[in-house]
Amino acid sequence: MPDINTPISPAISEVPDVNELVLKQINSQIANQLNTGVLVVDADFNIVIWNRFLQVHTDKIPGNIIGQSIFCAFPELPQRWLSRKLSSVLQLNTPSFCSWQQRHHLFELPHTRPITTDSEFMAQNCTFLPIETDDNSKYICILIEDVTDACHYQMQLQKTLAEIAQISRIDGLTQIYNRRHWQDSLEQEYAKARRHDKKLSLIMLDLDHFKLLNDNYGHQGGDMVLIEVSALISALLRVEDTFGRYGGEEFAIILPETDSAGAIELAQRICRIIAITPFTYNDQVINVTVSLGVAQLSSREANYEELITQTDSALYQAKSQGRNQVCNATELL
Amino acid sequence: MNEFHLTEDQQDCLQELINIAMGQASDQLARYLDTFVYLKVPSIESVAAKDLMKTLSQQKNTMAVVSQGFFGYEGIRGEALLVYQEEGSARIADLLGYEPDELSQDEQLIDISSILTTTFLNVFAQQINNQLSYNAPKLLPNIQEILSEHLQQMPFTWDLALKVNINYQVTDYSFNCNMILLIPETAITNIKHVLDRILEEF
Repeated sequence: MPDINTPISPAISEVPDVNELVLKQINSQIANQLNTGVLVVDADFNIVIWNRFLQVHTDKIPGNIIGQSIFCAFPELPQRWLSRKLSSVLQLNTPSFCSWQQRHHLFELPHTRPITTDSEFMAQNCTFLPIETDDNSKYICILIEDVTDACHYQMQLQKTLAEIAQISRIDGLTQIYNRRHWQDSLEQEYAKARRHDKKLSLIMLDLDHFKLLNDNYGHQGGDMVLIEVSALISALLRVEDTFGRYGGEEFAIILPETDSAGAIELAQRICRIIAITPFTYNDQVINVTVSLGVAQLSSREANYEELITQTDSALYQAKSQGRNQVCNATELL
Repeated sequence: MNEFHLTEDQQDCLQELINIAMGQASDQLARYLDTFVYLKVPSIESVAAKDLMKTLSQQKNTMAVVSQGFFGYEGIRGEALLVYQEEGSARIADLLGYEPDELSQDEQLIDISSILTTTFLNVFAQQINNQLSYNAPKLLPNIQEILSEHLQQMPFTWDLALKVNINYQVTDYSFNCNMILLIPETAITNIKHVLDRILEEF
């Protein structure tokens, strides 16, 4: 029997005959000490041999397994699919593969990390190799690799990446979207509105005299107001609206498929509700008002930044007209 | 012309070996899939890594790419990329003889890729008196962004590769895909030796 690394054609004769028995023993001991399941079936899918790894992990009695159909010995196997796969190995004389990423496992085997992973069975990469013996008999060698660790870490990684993606979109204090994500959303909504010729409106709002509020009640009082105002406004929005913290005490709302009349109505509701809602901090009542600017996308804006500029100008106008009010960008023209 | 380019004789020889392998592969595939499999005349050319990335990422409608590494004796190794378009991939489960609900689309793509790659390369290996082993095939996610990244992270580094492009068609199942074999610089030198040996024998 040639060494596994020996090229098939040229060097075969260099292995002396006397070593054949020794080589056989070495091969069989390697097979039995591998941390990989090895199972060989014949052309009728009856089990010919298996290694110790499988004996230990399946808890089945070897005597009952050898000679049995693989589908009787392992009733959990998807018979129709796997038969077709095994046929391809025999017929095309090519290897075939099955990764845990497509099928978590084929064989229901317990794994060695029962506590630290959430799956019941060992995650597996299976390889099906064609084997042809000198007498032209065909067999299939099935290698079953335990990839529970890789699978576990991959899942953890994906979970963490999803968490990071979420964190990168959220403003830490108010738990609404941060400026970057808000602006990305606006860019997308702008493109959508232009492509499908849909309406799009923006509201930008600013807390009135916020610096004074911070001076009177301390920054923690100011933070509490930012959090409460954010929550209050969030409750007034539709699911398709995107609400973000634009700057320190400045907020912005994207309103897809909304004209300026709708946006003004919402802006006025926000203005009114915040003005009549008392915020309490350390047993003190804080009265807060906001100024809001509204703009609807028209044919004039060449990009989404110009829509922000329009809305911001309206907000500035609302401030200069005495605060606690809504101003529409069209009034500025 | 440099050491990694094939001479005209070498190129002809490789072309001939690939033609023979394609004939045998298409015959074997037809028997297994029980339908005619057409393989178009292959194109063989040297490509620079950066140009390849450009052409691949510019290909329109690319839905998926499956990659599978191969390696054999005498330093023959490389990577096969199977490139699929949306319109040629609707009935793969059917073609493979599976029920559609038996396997996901990802698995269908991986399975057919593995069959096409290994069947062709096995017969090609026989032509050059070699035997190949294969990595498990991998579906590359998000093709547009990932492909160039993937090409940079292949198990071998290369600036220049020998590129063999073979188109597979199964008209009965409206199936169509491209197989791109990439053989990196060091392996080109090795394949040149093999080709020279075969040329000498004639």
